[in-house]
Amino acid sequence: MNNGMDSMIDMYLFETNSLLEQLENIMLEAEKAKAFTSEDIDEIFRIMHTIKGSSAMMEFDSISKIAHRIEDLFFIFRQNNTTDTFSDAMRKELFNLIFKTNDFMRTEVAKIEQNEPISDNIDNFINDINTFIEKLDAGEASPLETAESKKSDDKNTVAQSNASLQSIPATTSPYIIKILFDDGCGMEHLRAFMVKSAIADHIGNNFKFFPEDVETNSETCNYIIDNGFFIFLDDETQVDPTVTAIKSSLNIASFEIIPNPAAEETQHKEAESVATATETAAGNTTNQSKPSKKSNHASPAPQQAKQSIISVNLSKLDNLMAIVGEIVITESMVTSSPDLKGLKLDNFTKSTRQLRKLTDELQDIAMSMRMVPISGVFNKMNRIVRDMGQNLNKDVRLTIIGENTELDKTIVDSINDPLIHIVRNAMDHGIEENSQDRIAAGKDSQGEITLEAKHTGSDIIITISDDGAGVNADKVLEKAKRNGILTKPENEYTKREILALLLAPGFSTNETVTEYSGRGVGMDVVKQNIEKVGGIVFIESELGQGTCITLKIPLTLAIVDGMEISVGKSTFTIPITNIRQSFKCSREEVIYDSLGNELIERMGDYYPIVRLHNLYNIETEITDIEEGILVWVEASDKSYCLFVDKFIGEQQVVVKPLPPYLNSFNIKNSGVAGCTILGDGNISIILDALSLHTAFMNSL
Amino acid sequence: MKTENNNVMMDEEYNLADAEEIINKYLTFISADLVYGIPIENVVEIITSPSITALPMVPPYVLGVINLRGQIVPIIDIRQIMDKPANENNSILCVIILEIDSISIGVLVDTVLQVINMPNKISAPPSKNNLSFINGMTNLNDGSVMYSLDCDLLISNK
Repeated sequence: MNNGMDSMIDMYLFETNSLLEQLENIMLEAEKAKAFTSEDIDEIFRIMHTIKGSSAMMEFDSISKIAHRIEDLFFIFRQNNTTDTFSDAMRKELFNLIFKTNDFMRTEVAKIEQNEPISDNIDNFINDINTFIEKLDAGEASPLETAESKKSDDKNTVAQSNASLQSIPATTSPYIIKILFDDGCGMEHLRAFMVKSAIADHIGNNFKFFPEDVETNSETCNYIIDNGFFIFLDDETQVDPTVTAIKSSLNIASFEIIPNPAAEETQHKEAESVATATETAAGNTTNQSKPSKKSNHASPAPQQAKQSIISVNLSKLDNLMAIVGEIVITESMVTSSPDLKGLKLDNFTKSTRQLRKLTDELQDIAMSMRMVPISGVFNKMNRIVRDMGQNLNKDVRLTIIGENTELDKTIVDSINDPLIHIVRNAMDHGIEENSQDRIAAGKDSQGEITLEAKHTGSDIIITISDDGAGVNADKVLEKAKRNGILTKPENEYTKREILALLLAPGFSTNETVTEYSGRGVGMDVVKQNIEKVGGIVFIESELGQGTCITLKIPLTLAIVDGMEISVGKSTFTIPITNIRQSFKCSREEVIYDSLGNELIERMGDYYPIVRLHNLYNIETEITDIEEGILVWVEASDKSYCLFVDKFIGEQQVVVKPLPPYLNSFNIKNSGVAGCTILGDGNISIILDALSLHTAFMNSL
Repeated sequence: MKTENNNVMMDEEYNLADAEEIINKYLTFISADLVYGIPIENVVEIITSPSITALPMVPPYVLGVINLRGQIVPIIDIRQIMDKPANENNSILCVIILEIDSISIGVLVDTVLQVINMPNKISAPPSKNNLSFINGMTNLNDGSVMYSLDCDLLISNK
C-alpha cells in the first residue's frame, strides 16, 4: 500500500512538473505574441483541469483550488474569446497572475517532493484571481455571469431530476452495483473513475457504468454524491472480481448489488435499449458541459507525447551501465581467451565480431541514456529574462543556440544555479540601464543575451554573452583593492587576471545591492558549482561591447584526464588539473627547515616536498631525490611538490568510487579520491591533491 | 505472480517446520589451521590469485582492492584479523567474495573446504576474549570444531 502511494506521488510530481513547465512555455510564447491563440487557451484549460483533478485526488487541496479558479478564468476566455480585446495593462496583469500561479504551484510541488507540508494560506491568491475575474466581468458586461448562473441552474435541475434510481439509463444488465463514497471525500467523480479503472483492470472494459462521463465532467460529482455510482454487469462471473476491485478502492462508504428487474423484460428489446442508453448518456454530456467534450478532444495529443518518453530512476540507469560494462569486459575475456590460442576457428571469429559490434552498440546506447538535452535548463532562462526585464524596465531578448546539445543528467542539474546567476548578472549589470545609452553607443535598442552550448571533444562549452556595457577593468581593480583581495601590486595585473577577480569570493561591482544581484556571492558560487563538476569558468569582456562568460565542463563526471605515475609497484593517477609542473631537481636545490623537512624553491616561493613512498609506506628503490621526479601539485590554496618514481603517461580514466567498506577507515582523508581500472585490468588509485596535503600535514 | 512466490515460500517454511529443524548451509574454510564457516547466503564466489592493489593508510588486515570484472572489491586477511601469523606458503591466494548487506568484500583464506549442511544448533558463543568476529561454534561430523564467522561484525570494522 505504502509503495503504491509512493509511486502515485512520484507519478503526480512528474506529471504536474511537466505540465507546469508546459504552461510556462505556452505563457512565454503567448506573451511574445501578445495574444492567446485558441489552442493556447484550450491547452492551458486542459493543464489546469488535469492539475486540479490529480491534486484533489492526492488531497493537495490548495493546489487544486487555485487550479480550479484558473480553470474558471480560462473557461471564460474560451466562452468569449476576449483576450484579443484586452488593454495592455489588463494583459500584463493577466500574465503576471498566471506566472505567479505557476510559481506558487511549483513551490508547493517542490514542498511535496521534500515531504514538507504544503501551505494552506491561499486566500490572497484566490482573491487576486477572483478580482481579476470580476474585472473581466465588469468589462464584459454580464452575459457571462448569467451564463454561469444558468449553468448552475441546469446543474441543479439535472441533479434533481436524476435523484432517483429510475433515472439511470435503461439497461439489460442483470447486475447493477451501486457505490456510495465517503461523505465529503471530495472529487467523487474522479474517485468513481478510479473505481471504474480498477474494475476494468480485473474484468476488462466489457462493462457499463453510469454516469458515463465521470472522467471529464465534474458536475457528475453531485449526482454521485446524491445517488451513487452505478456499475452494470452482464455476466455473473464478473461480479466477484468487481466486488474485490471495489473493496480495494479508497474512500468507499458502501456498495450494494441490486438485481435488475428490467433485465428479463427487456431482453428481447436489447438492441433498442442499448441504443437509448447510449443516447441518454450522450445527451447528458452535450447538455451538461461543453468543456468536458472539448477537453476530450484536447487530451489525445499529450497522451501520445507521454508514450514516447518515460521517466526512469537514475539508479536503474547506473545499474544498467555497470552491467553493460561487465558484459563488455566479459566479451573480451571470452573472445581473447588463452584457450583459443593457435586454433583456427572461422565461424567463431565471425560470431565474435558480430558480438563485439552488438556490445559496442549496447554500450553506446546505455551511455546515451543518461544524456539529456540542455534545453530544459536553457528554457528556464526565458522566464528570468522576462521577469527581470519587466522589473528593471529593460527590453532584452534571449537567443538560444544549440539547446539540443546533450550532457549527463547530473551535470545538467548542477549547472542550473550557475546559469541563473550569470543570466541575472547579465540582466542587472550587463545590459545598459536605459535604451538611450544603447542607441547612443550605436547598438540596437533591444538588448540581447545569447546562450550557446556546444561539444568539443570530451568537454561541453556553454557561453553566456550579452551585448551590454561590458566590464570596466579599472573599476574592478579599484573595487578589489578596496575589498583587499589583491595578492600582488596593482600594475602587475593583466586584463585576464582582473576579470578573474570577478569570480573571487566577496566581490561585487555594483555599488548598491538589488533584489537580483549585488551581494557579491553570485559569481564565486558559480565558480564553486562549476568546479564541483570538474569544469572551469572564464570571463571575457570588452568595455562597451559586452561580456562573455564561458563554462567548460567535462561531458561526464566519471571521466578525468589523469597523469599516471608509479611509486614502487603501485600506480597512482593525479588529475591533470591539479598539476602545475613537473621537474627533476638536484640534491643542492633541496632546503631543510628546522625540523629537517625537505623544501624546494619554485618561482620565488618555498614548497614542501611530499615523498609519496614515505607517506604511503611503499617499498621502492628510488629514494634519491635526483633519481625520481617532482610533481608540483596545487589544489585550492594548498601547493606542494610530490616526489614519485616516474611518469607513466597521460591517460583519460574512468573514476570508480571506492567500495563502501573502506569508508570507515577514513580513507577519503588519506589522499585517495577513488580508483580506476587501467587497460590491463590493474587498479590505479586516483589521488586527491587537497586531502593528500592534509594527510601529509598530519603525518608530520 | 507475487502471491505465487508467497505460496512457494510458505510451502518451504511449512516443510522446514515439519522437519522441526532448520538446515543452514555453511561454506567452510581453513585459516591458520582452524576451520571457519560462513553462511552460504553471503558467499558470492571463490577466486584464486587475484592481483591485489595495496591501499595507503589502512589497517594492515586490509590488503587492498581487486578488480573483479569491473567492480572494485576490498580484500581483508582473515589471519591478520584473528591475530595469527601471516601465511608463509602463499603460492596460491584463495579469496572468498562475500556480499553482506549489499556490501561486497573479499576475505583471504588458506584453503576452502566444502559446503556443509548444518542443523540449527550452532551455539555456545565462546568466551569473548581473543575470539573476535566469531558468533558461534559447533562440532563437525569428523569431530573437528567449526567457528562461525560473524559477517555483520566483519563489515562493521569493530
